[in-house]
Amino acid sequence: MRFDTPLADRVTALLFFALGASMAIGGYQMDRLEIRQIHPASIPGLLPMVLGAALMLCAVLLAFEASKPSARAAQPDSVSWSDFLVVLGFCAVYAIGMVGRVPFGIATAIFVTVFVGWFTRLPASAPRRAKLVRAVLSLVFGCLVALAISLLFRYAFLVRLP
Amino acid sequence: MSGLAQFFAALGELATPMGLFHVAWATLLGIFVGSLPGLTATMGVALLTTLTYTMDRDSAILVLLCMYVGAIYGGSRSAILLNIPGTPASAATSLDGYPLAQRGEAGYAMALATAGSALGTAVGILLLVMLAPPLAEVALEFGSFEFFWLAVFGIVISGQLTGGVSPLRGYIAGLLGLMVAMVGSDGIHAHVRFNLGWDDLNGGIGLIPAMVGAFGFAEVLTVMWRRAPELVGRSADAKLKSRTLPRLSDLWRYKFTITRSGIIGTFIGIIPGVGEDIGAWASYAVAKRTSPERDQFGKGSQEGLTAAETGNSAVVPGALIPALTLAVPGSAPAAVLIAALFIHGVRPGPMIMIEAPTFIYSVAAMLLLATLAIAIFGLSLTRLFIQILRIPRAYLMPVVFALCVIGPYALTQRLFDVWVMFAFGIIGFVLRQMNYPMAPLVLGIILGDLLDKSLRRGLTLSDGDLAPFFTRPISATFVVVITLSILAGLPPLRRAMARLMPQPAGPSLGDRK
Repeated sequence: MRFDTPLADRVTALLFFALGASMAIGGYQMDRLEIRQIHPASIPGLLPMVLGAALMLCAVLLAFEASKPSARAAQPDSVSWSDFLVVLGFCAVYAIGMVGRVPFGIATAIFVTVFVGWFTRLPASAPRRAKLVRAVLSLVFGCLVALAISLLFRYAFLVRLP
Repeated sequence: MSGLAQFFAALGELATPMGLFHVAWATLLGIFVGSLPGLTATMGVALLTTLTYTMDRDSAILVLLCMYVGAIYGGSRSAILLNIPGTPASAATSLDGYPLAQRGEAGYAMALATAGSALGTAVGILLLVMLAPPLAEVALEFGSFEFFWLAVFGIVISGQLTGGVSPLRGYIAGLLGLMVAMVGSDGIHAHVRFNLGWDDLNGGIGLIPAMVGAFGFAEVLTVMWRRAPELVGRSADAKLKSRTLPRLSDLWRYKFTITRSGIIGTFIGIIPGVGEDIGAWASYAVAKRTSPERDQFGKGSQEGLTAAETGNSAVVPGALIPALTLAVPGSAPAAVLIAALFIHGVRPGPMIMIEAPTFIYSVAAMLLLATLAIAIFGLSLTRLFIQILRIPRAYLMPVVFALCVIGPYALTQRLFDVWVMFAFGIIGFVLRQMNYPMAPLVLGIILGDLLDKSLRRGLTLSDGDLAPFFTRPISATFVVVITLSILAGLPPLRRAMARLMPQPAGPSLGDRK
């Protein structure tokens, strides 16, 4: 899957046009603060209207550009969507699901341990003992990282951790 | 007191044992960050900003500048040894650095890169001290009309030069950044805009969470997405058998290249939002055009390597010139530095020579200390950096992400900023894969407030009349330059210019910094 195809450009052009239109309409409908008797040229919606219109124009140009053949950057040598989704999932669970609900140090230890454990895991055919050693190493690394970051921010930078 | 005396006074104040300790660890950390592909200078400065909240002003700015200088220099390590630029700023370095390493001269290539970086930064520091005070004086003449055009100029020129094949993507990235800046209370009437009914958005979207997401989390996703091989094997040691100190005769031979690349890099740095990678490519291109050994460029030319490294390092002081005097960043890391300056009570902009007249000289002294540190570390710790390149990404990336989470939170103690970081990470990843440059986006977030206030204030002062935006001398100059820049971006003119000035091959510019 590539992100820099003409189809992707046309879809983003559509999205940008909608975003620009939303901002322009939002700026136009924004409170003009007449009750405060401000100068009509200083209404808060002025620049959003201009930016919205500019983005709509750029979106149209992007759609035109997408219809022309052009040189595209080379695809990266090898990409892994499964790795990407796993990382995205781990990060989402940690940043949005755990931080704020679970004490920061514990959340970080779990995240780092699982992350390292997943990406350094041995194949199923590897001896059980080797797998166990690898898992323990991930756990130790996760706990050490969590401890170091927590202590640094809690005591050196005086941050009340989430 | 003259500028030189103020510079030496600042140097004396900073050269305390604690100051030198900060220089040592921050520069070393910067080289570490820069040398690892996937960790960029902007990300390093953004993450380190979150660690400086409790420091005093000078120490905080000192460690951030050391990180910046160290990271830009550090990118040359992996560029030379592995042909993988540690940061995009070192992409030009790999063209000649890697062939030198393949010939068994990696040690000498790194020595030349170190010397080039140190001398490039030194040239930039000299120009910073010479140019920043008069530029601040000129900036005092700026009113709302001029600041409006300055902000437009920043977005247009940054979009133009970092947009790669077409400036349109650069313009769109800049517009998206400006739109992000429209969220939250406006700067004149404190009217809340586009908060979508979410009270957390009333204060706007913070630059630091957005930057940490767009550069930090997006990098984590990119590095894990691309199945990068482990960075370095045992063969790297074999490349280090050559001399690891630069010969003075070689540096003397390249004196004109070093001086010219330093000046080019500094002036590229002054242009808003145009960073180290373009400084390196521009210096490399000019050196290639004028060198008697031009046929060796790309095959292991020492002059090419020196030009690229001098050029990218000279951008650092150059980027600070508009950042300090106009509050307009010359590069993406400089944008984070502006945010850090505000956090630590320094107000960059035209008033800086009045409110903090010695600050520019302090910055120059800090940069000099960072330069000395990269020279010492670069020439003495070559083998240590090889070990750093052996750290597997599976261990490094979760640590980086944990810092991406806690860093923005530490500034405001709001979980909302963690979500902002996360959202910008995904947006940054997608935009980057679609070849949208990040520098104009960042510049847009920084300049949005200035653009908004200047436009509305200017129109209020002129009672709604647009004429002063076009008739005041400085404004008119900006209008002409902006118009010419946009015209130069039109495809027929670009093709004509490309025929006249062929560029060296390289990856798309300004992608990441």
